[in-house]
Amino acid sequence: MSENLQSRRSFITSILTLGAAGLSASIIYPIIKYLTPPKQREVEVSSVSAGKIKDIENDSYKIVRFGNKPVILIRTDKGEFKALSAQCTHLDCTVQYKKSEGVIWCACHNGKYDLNGRNISGPPPKPLDPYLVKIKGEEVFISKKA
Amino acid sequence: MKKIMLLTIPILFVYFYPAVVFAADDQCYTCHSALEDKESKLFKEDIHFKKGISCNGCHGGDKSSEDNDVAMSKEKGFIGVPKGDKITEVCAKCHASEKMMKSFGSKLPVNQYDNLINSVHGKSSTVSGSRIVNCTTCHTAHGIKSVNDPLSPVYATNIPMTCSKCHGDAAYMRTYNPGLAVDQYTKYLTSVHGTLNSKGDPKPAQCASCHGSHDIKPVKDIKSKVYPVNIPATCSKCHSDKEYMAQYKIPTDQFEKYARSVHGKALLEKNDPGAPACNSCHGNHGAAPPGVESISQVCGTCHALNADLFSQSPHKLAFEKKGYPECETCHGNHEIVTATNKMLGVDKDAVCSKCHQDQNSNGYKSAFMMRSLIDSLDNTKQSAMVLINEAEQKGMEVSDAKFKLRDINQVKLETRTQVHSFDAKKFKDIVDKGLVISADATADAKQAIHEYYFRRVGLGVSVFLISLLAFGLFLYLRKIEKK
Amino acid sequence: MKKYFTKAYEWLDERLDLTSLSHFIEKKYVPVHAHSIWYYFGGVSLFFFLIQVLTGILLLFYYKGSADLAFESIQFIMSKVEFGWLIRSIHAWAANLFILSVFIHMFSVFFEKSYRKPRELTWVTGVFLFFMTLAFGFSGYLLPWNKLAFFATKVGTDIAGNVPIVGQIMKGFLRGGDDVTGATLSRFFGFHVALFPGIFTILLVIHIVMVQRQGMSEPMELEGRPEETKKSMPFFPNFMLRDLLLWLLVLNVLAILAVFFPADLGEKADPFSSAPAGIKPEWYFLFMFQTLKYIPGKIFIMDGELLGIVLFGAAGLLWLLVPFWDTQSSKGLINKKINYLGLFAVGFIIVLTILGWVA
Repeated sequence: MSENLQSRRSFITSILTLGAAGLSASIIYPIIKYLTPPKQREVEVSSVSAGKIKDIENDSYKIVRFGNKPVILIRTDKGEFKALSAQCTHLDCTVQYKKSEGVIWCACHNGKYDLNGRNISGPPPKPLDPYLVKIKGEEVFISKKA
Repeated sequence: MKKIMLLTIPILFVYFYPAVVFAADDQCYTCHSALEDKESKLFKEDIHFKKGISCNGCHGGDKSSEDNDVAMSKEKGFIGVPKGDKITEVCAKCHASEKMMKSFGSKLPVNQYDNLINSVHGKSSTVSGSRIVNCTTCHTAHGIKSVNDPLSPVYATNIPMTCSKCHGDAAYMRTYNPGLAVDQYTKYLTSVHGTLNSKGDPKPAQCASCHGSHDIKPVKDIKSKVYPVNIPATCSKCHSDKEYMAQYKIPTDQFEKYARSVHGKALLEKNDPGAPACNSCHGNHGAAPPGVESISQVCGTCHALNADLFSQSPHKLAFEKKGYPECETCHGNHEIVTATNKMLGVDKDAVCSKCHQDQNSNGYKSAFMMRSLIDSLDNTKQSAMVLINEAEQKGMEVSDAKFKLRDINQVKLETRTQVHSFDAKKFKDIVDKGLVISADATADAKQAIHEYYFRRVGLGVSVFLISLLAFGLFLYLRKIEKK
Repeated sequence: MKKYFTKAYEWLDERLDLTSLSHFIEKKYVPVHAHSIWYYFGGVSLFFFLIQVLTGILLLFYYKGSADLAFESIQFIMSKVEFGWLIRSIHAWAANLFILSVFIHMFSVFFEKSYRKPRELTWVTGVFLFFMTLAFGFSGYLLPWNKLAFFATKVGTDIAGNVPIVGQIMKGFLRGGDDVTGATLSRFFGFHVALFPGIFTILLVIHIVMVQRQGMSEPMELEGRPEETKKSMPFFPNFMLRDLLLWLLVLNVLAILAVFFPADLGEKADPFSSAPAGIKPEWYFLFMFQTLKYIPGKIFIMDGELLGIVLFGAAGLLWLLVPFWDTQSSKGLINKKINYLGLFAVGFIIVLTILGWVA
């Protein structure tokens, strides 16, 4: 009888312990996960890393994701960095840097922009929005113009 | 009130009536015609003279006096020969006053003065410190004729010559607007309008029809009748007028069609001044329909890649042989709408099937294949979008997949261009690129949806554990209450 | 292990006199009878409040109370922050269930006439707590800054503006200007996370302390019966464990609701867009909203809406002061009128809420 009672007590205790542990885990785990800084730190992306300087050669370009939008980072033949929205103002295609002509070029309808983003030929109705380039040590950052 | 009226009538009488009634007493004209000077000879034919206005109407003075010193004295208001802007002010004395114009039975508008001084010609000139253009620049001084008089320099068939006196003079124009072309007149003579005009037909458009007369603005002024956004309305003033155009036997529905076209919508609804207006294809001063072969060049000024691909395609030669008007064959002219997938392929609505009807021909096969390729791209994109939306509505993070959707759109636009090569293989390469991206995006979305359902597993585990604890409590309570 | 607990207890006891507290708890009994179930709703309401505090604090870590970012920050919480969707959905669901449980708690007390002497002040603080929960609901509803909330707030504050004499001042005070704008959002945010929780906590402490001082109220029919015939159970551990058990079940329900019906966000508020058709307040305001709709525009010389507001105000005041005008219950006499009044109130609220819901 007493053994039976003993085993019953230990059964209840183990249920209670397991349950309590489960409850704590179910509450604490989501909270800890919630408080871990998310990949995107803030509501609005304000600055994004575009990689190391040495990874971007002179006279080349790179498309960098900025929030939901692509940004084109160009390093001119003189080594200067320029960042512009990579969305063609005509129909939203992603533009590229055309080395041979030294212009930003949209493959969809042959729209061209100069390196300051001004639409110089083809259908684009507006210039490309400029972004700021900041260099911190070895890394290139792109941020929105205030 | 009545008193004023009573006073005004005699004043008016004194001022104007004598001019008409006592024309014989016009000592200015009597003397000057006796002198046989150029001015009085011209003035005889002048509309103002015919209306009874004598020299003093503009120059002031007393025309009833035979004495030179009295007639042309400052006391009598003689102003001599008005110079520069004074000329226009003298004209405006009557032409800007409704009352005055009415008294001569004229229905001419009285806003010409205001229009002129606000127009591009109303700016001050480089040399004399007066306006670039004053009334006499176009209308001459002493032999002014009605605008409906074929002898008037501003009569429809004379206007091109009149304007080109300055606008065709490179040295003169350089002092104002060095960038402005000076070949408008030459171009005009090659246009349909110009050829008819030079044959003496006053109806076709001349300078003033499009640019206005007194109110001419620079092209870049949004109020200008030839500002890109305003051009279709300007051209359609005549070209949509059935009655006016009847004798020329050309359609009058261009504007209607154009307004429905992708170009018309871009220009008229979105107010995109980069969109083509009438003159972008037809030219402006040299306006004429483009020739059959030049169409791809004309369209190609904007649609460069498409035109390039087309020119290298087998269609270029085939169309030339058959005399088909290149782009227009498939896209139409004034009513060009956004191209859809329906245009491609071998269905009834497809443009390809108009020529390619033999099922064994290469053209038929290519058209069929390209259509099925583009359809499959659309379908995969559609299903990717559905999944992404579903995932997003479930509160999942799918910005990566959404970002990829952009690339699919880009591929779609590229296929729109590539189709003009009419090369099924090149077309397939591009579509394949899109299919890969959309498969990728679909996988992302599926992963997100999977994650969503995984949450339910997590919930199940938690609910089980919490229930277990509750059950334990229940047992414990039962135990302690049994005692 | 046990030794350390005993030691720690002794150490604290020496300083805080825990023994008298534990004596108090040991002596605390809860009456057991047919209506015992209603005792649990106070505890459940408390549980919801605790959940709201916890999830509310968590939401505060990412929420931004400005018109530019409020909507986006909630979007961010829902999609970018891990378990953000869960925290927000629980906060939203718990808010609704909180109000529901407060309704039940309040009506059970009303029907049991537990407000009678000597618990008048407990009732009064309770009714104030009820008003506060409604205020929490109203202010929290705007915070996501979506279209529905924006217009519901517009309508709600407009109604407040019709209150006689102080209406316009109140409306301006609530809105932080002439119209519902970002200023309103900032205000509501302040009310919701600082002012209201402060007031609520103070009232709640008073409310609970009074309940502890006075013990659980017995149903009137049990009063005066011999003690031996009455059943009861110890508050600790029996009643408390039962409370805990119920809380766990409630937590389960909450988790299931949050996972299967996560809170949605809708469209961002656009002050310049036109109001969507059929704009409705949250369900707990629906009966008042619907009543105001049924009252004709003019009754004799009085403005219909004004009359409605005055009537609701009077009803609220009457409700707050029940213990003072229902003198019969306090004397231990059965007051049937109170039951009828309560039934009428419940029926009225249910019927008009349904009418408002399906309208």
